Amino acid sequence: MLSLNSDTLERLNATLPASLASRRREALREYGRLDMPNPKEENWKYVTLGFDLDHMTIPATPGDSLPEGDFLAALTNRAGSAVMVDGRLIGVENHSEAWLGSATEAWEAYPPSDLLTPDTDKFAAAALAFSSDGISLRIPRNRAVDAPFVIDVQSTLPDTVTFPSLDIRAEENSEATVVVLFRSPDGMASVMVPNLQTTVGYGARLSVTTVGIMGTEGVTVMHHRSRIGRDATFRAGEIGLGGRLARIDLRTTLEGAGGSVEVVGLYFGEMEQVLDYRLVVNHVGRSTSSDVFLKGAVEDQAQSIFTGLLRIEEDAVGTSAFETNRNLVLSDGAKANSVPNLEILCNDIICGHGSSVGPLETEPMYYLMSRGLSRERAERVLVRGFFEEAIDRLPLDDLDEPARQAVNRRFAEAQEGGRV
Amino acid sequence: MGMALKVRGLRASVGSMRILNGIDLDVPFGQMHALMGPNGSGKSTLCHVLCGHPDFTAEGEAWVDGREVMGLEADERARLGLVQAFQSPVAVPGVDLAELMREAAEERGIDSAEANRRIAEASRRFDMDPFLDRSINDDLSGGEKKRSEIFQISVLSPKAALLDETDSGLDIDMVRKVAAAVEEMRGPGMGVLMITHHSRILNYVEPDRVHVMMGGRIVTSGGPDLAQELEKEGYEGLRKRLGIEAPRAAASAKPSSDFFTDLPFEV
Repeated sequence: MLSLNSDTLERLNATLPASLASRRREALREYGRLDMPNPKEENWKYVTLGFDLDHMTIPATPGDSLPEGDFLAALTNRAGSAVMVDGRLIGVENHSEAWLGSATEAWEAYPPSDLLTPDTDKFAAAALAFSSDGISLRIPRNRAVDAPFVIDVQSTLPDTVTFPSLDIRAEENSEATVVVLFRSPDGMASVMVPNLQTTVGYGARLSVTTVGIMGTEGVTVMHHRSRIGRDATFRAGEIGLGGRLARIDLRTTLEGAGGSVEVVGLYFGEMEQVLDYRLVVNHVGRSTSSDVFLKGAVEDQAQSIFTGLLRIEEDAVGTSAFETNRNLVLSDGAKANSVPNLEILCNDIICGHGSSVGPLETEPMYYLMSRGLSRERAERVLVRGFFEEAIDRLPLDDLDEPARQAVNRRFAEAQEGGRV
Repeated sequence: MGMALKVRGLRASVGSMRILNGIDLDVPFGQMHALMGPNGSGKSTLCHVLCGHPDFTAEGEAWVDGREVMGLEADERARLGLVQAFQSPVAVPGVDLAELMREAAEERGIDSAEANRRIAEASRRFDMDPFLDRSINDDLSGGEKKRSEIFQISVLSPKAALLDETDSGLDIDMVRKVAAAVEEMRGPGMGVLMITHHSRILNYVEPDRVHVMMGGRIVTSGGPDLAQELEKEGYEGLRKRLGIEAPRAAASAKPSSDFFTDLPFEV
């Protein structure tokens, strides 16, 4: 087990080119300078971490990999897969023309992206200093890969922290679909700090869906940075189900003219889960468009947080930007915080946002009951219907059924447990 | 003859506003009764109160096939055989129509083959195929919603069907279809109470009885001729003939529209 200090960093650096080693040292300096985030900071409001990275250790060797589970089982048709266990890439399979493999191996041909900066927060600094290995996926120009790439990221050792890094780049006019799963066993406390970077080149079409299905005591603090080029299309899917705390800090920059991003997500927090979404879409280029659409539910004592900022820069004329966050609060002790924000520095744009937080509506409930559905059945039907709109819009159809099953099962369990 | 629906002394209010002032009604199995009345007379409220809408406080008694329904939850009343076709049904995004019908069948212990058979049959009759896998009442025109409602009645085949202005907003062909369906459903297993503004549908289906409601009461009842008389003299004429004062309070508050649709929630 390795502590988060300079000894560990130099040990990791020994296997890396010198140019990258200096970046890590800089990140370590930031790590030392920054404090653990606390809920007094606006960007960490409502979040109690309950651990300190300084006291955690990185696994020296990976544990045994986890059994497959419903989501992976639904992804039968794949262009390629990579499995990362406890921060180490342990297996790669690739049937496509894309390059998929260890970021260390790819470093010379494909220098790593630097979309995440170490001054973001202590977790980002730690991720940049201590990531032991990373996965790189490059889709070559003018190539379209139909089947999805599946990246399975696991944490299997208790009381450890891991820093998986994923660098996805779709080159000019290419097309690909990626699914990334974050998993750990129920009841095991561990922390995962993924650094996901996506670059979508000129005219490229990329979708990346993250599936957060950590076990009951797992924590994920993910940074996802993406950069969208001219006339490029990026679709991000977010399925948030697992973990004691699951945080997604997503920042997308629409750099080139005509680029677009769609973020579609669903989350369902149970018991004492905290699901924390911090999304920023930055419109820089002209005629760029964004659509953020997240639907979530919380039951028992669970809490969700959505803060979404649409920022339209001065030169982003002809931009359209939309943001919707709908929340179902299913128990008295559950809480959903939803804060959509706009920051508009340009006139010629179309912009809209909507947000709602509340229980199941009484009129649809009465309507279903007037057809003879018991209250419990009517609730299940309404919860299913609530998520359907988000499931419909997920970038990859293969995930629809496991996502649907997961939210339906979760609500049925909450009903059986008398928590809703 | 058994009573599909029997109502005695039904009073109801929403908040402090009294809307129903003592309704007595008998709809025997095999019969179709028309309930007419001016806007705001409480017709829709009667449907909602009978079906157990949570926003109303009600007193009085009602039986469906001899089973007391007042005080039961809306779903229990529906399963005892009391179902209404809503005048302005709420949209339920994400829940499709066939799914609702299958859930309703399952709740009643009807197996899925039989449920699918009923759905297919009713769908053929009301041209509902394009709507079966669409969200309930979402982005539907007024007429399409009415079709969807009568389709559901047809699938659920209740003992007592309350049709709340199912004929309004329909084109003439669909009015005929609704009339034909009502005529067909009017068997020994069902009684129908049809609320209507217009006597138009009564050209295609002959009611056994016609009741006229004003100010939360049934003020007169009669045979099919009553509808024709009403057509001639209007509610104002009837009011004069019966010596009823023009309503104040609830009914006069919103003279130009149905009271229920102006409540601060969507129905």
